[in-house]
Amino acid sequence: MYFRFGSALVLVVLISLAGIALEKRNLELRRSVTRQRFRRDVLHDAHIRMRLETQRLGAPAQTIDALESGELRVEPQRKPIVENDRR
Amino acid sequence: MNGSVNRATDWRVLTIIVLLAMFALAIGARLVQLQWIDRLAFSDRANRQRTFVESIAARPGDIVDRSGRLMATTISVRSLYAVPAHIVDITQFARDVAPRLNLDADRLAERLTLNRTKQFLWIKRRLTEQQAIDIRALEMPAESWGFRREFLRRYPQGRLAAHILGLRGIDGEGRGGVEQKLDGVLRGRDGERVLVRDARGRVIDVKTEADRPAEHGRTVVLSLDAVIQLYTERELDRVMEEWRPSSACAIVIDPATCDVLAMASRPAFDPNNPVDVLPAAWKNTAIASMYEPGSTFKPFIVAWAVDREIISRDETFNCERGAYRMGRRILHDHHPYGQLSVTDILVKSSNIGMAKIGERMTNRSLYEAAVTFGFGRRTGTELPGELTGVVRKLSKWNRYSTGSIPMGQELAVTPLQLITAHAALANGGKLLSPRLVLGDMEAMDEFGRRSSPTASAQVVTQTVGAETAAWIVAGPMRGVVQRGTGKKAQLPGFEVFGKSGTAQKHDPATGGYSSNRFVCSFVCGAPADNPRALVLVLVDEPTVGTSHYGGTVAAPAASRILEKTLLHLRVPSDASQPRTANRR
Repeated sequence: MYFRFGSALVLVVLISLAGIALEKRNLELRRSVTRQRFRRDVLHDAHIRMRLETQRLGAPAQTIDALESGELRVEPQRKPIVENDRR
Repeated sequence: MNGSVNRATDWRVLTIIVLLAMFALAIGARLVQLQWIDRLAFSDRANRQRTFVESIAARPGDIVDRSGRLMATTISVRSLYAVPAHIVDITQFARDVAPRLNLDADRLAERLTLNRTKQFLWIKRRLTEQQAIDIRALEMPAESWGFRREFLRRYPQGRLAAHILGLRGIDGEGRGGVEQKLDGVLRGRDGERVLVRDARGRVIDVKTEADRPAEHGRTVVLSLDAVIQLYTERELDRVMEEWRPSSACAIVIDPATCDVLAMASRPAFDPNNPVDVLPAAWKNTAIASMYEPGSTFKPFIVAWAVDREIISRDETFNCERGAYRMGRRILHDHHPYGQLSVTDILVKSSNIGMAKIGERMTNRSLYEAAVTFGFGRRTGTELPGELTGVVRKLSKWNRYSTGSIPMGQELAVTPLQLITAHAALANGGKLLSPRLVLGDMEAMDEFGRRSSPTASAQVVTQTVGAETAAWIVAGPMRGVVQRGTGKKAQLPGFEVFGKSGTAQKHDPATGGYSSNRFVCSFVCGAPADNPRALVLVLVDEPTVGTSHYGGTVAAPAASRILEKTLLHLRVPSDASQPRTANRR
């Protein structure tokens, strides 16, 4: 009887431990996902800031004199970036 | 004796049992109330105490020009708030924080004291990176302050196209320009995140299953070309400096599509720093001001009269040597002319010749011409605040109108209406609604080629026949630049066509036309046989010098803008290439 009682107790404890382990793993993964989202947001912000800076530095107002004087090579006119032609 | 003692004991036991039973019943009843009757209410209350919903702000979309150059974008910055209820020494707090944020310490302390019991008070929104670092370095108690992430709109091209773009207010709402008109597309939709917190208010879990992600704003593509816009604005600045007018504007249009390549007004403002702006600077003169068009209106009347065969192209009119009585008034020309052909009436800009054409047309036909070319109604551009202009009802026109309308008086137009109508002449007579927005993109980081419903609908009206339109452009309007009032718009290597306008302004003192306040305008385009660009420059009340004519004030600037635009669009000049290679 003691053996059966002990076995049942061990089984219950093992199941509980497995549940706790799974829960911890679940929380760990969720933390990891949250961290990755945060990193993605930080990188996205950094990307936007760098894009803003490059666009500001390369704005026509900054480069037009160099273009007109021939210091910079003139890129050919591109088509609009969206296809929505009325012709 | 023994029996009486037993009875008394029984009675006491019974009383205790009854009391205990009543207590148990009360407990049971309370349990039933809590667990069954009020279960939902208590469950809701517990949920409310345990969870709260946090808003996830949507990032407003970018605005780019037709080549993808960034005109407006959004960055994430920190805003500082305080918890006045948890600040121990308000004066010290204000003394520490204020100098690092360029605030007045006394006023900040006063604000904090007034809101002493509050749990939240903005100190300064949208800090610079350095300001945020400085505040963090103060190492103030964590419970008394905090940062919140907010979005800040930036315009990397500076003042360029400020009136077209508009700006975003402190709470992110679009104000003016495309920012206002397309706020629904640009703003996106905020999301929600459900957080679970413990008894002390600390977040212990995020209910990801209840998350609603933010839908960020879309990227809007404008028809503007930032390079042409820059050329245009530089020329306008030069005009403002040279002639010191009250305002000026310029528009560049591709006549084939009616895409607005540039639109600028002066005075202007800096959308990155919209403080100390003159009230007049908020106004986009190109769409929100009305003027009598003057002589720039004459080509529409001639085109209509020729197209409806009211006059013929080779007809001549007697211009009465500069003075012509029409009813009770006498019309004058700047120079006395005798017989002038229809072409020369436009080239010399003869008011008498136009009045005689008006007499031939009658008021009904003049009215039809004005309305068909789009005057008196909005063009349908995507910008807010566009005026309709003024074309009075035909029933209110009189004999005076017959002489005034053909020379561009008695009606008011916006600069955008005027260039849109001229674009119709340069486009085979087809009047299109001007377009400023080419479309929007699905997401700010997906630069796929995709059109969208944001693009404005195309409205086409055939005003005059293609042959008549081509003749007006390549004949009389070309002549204006070759040998008429627009000689200053000539460009070597290009066949430029154009028309000048010099309209007298209304003088409130006399009730008539002023003799020293003018609106000078010039519209020109090239090449004449296949127009690739059309430019309008309008200068309101130049004050420097005395020669205030469209051909002297506005034509040189319009010509320079046109020249730079043609170069930028790689339109070959006559000398460099046979034009047939460039025909579309």
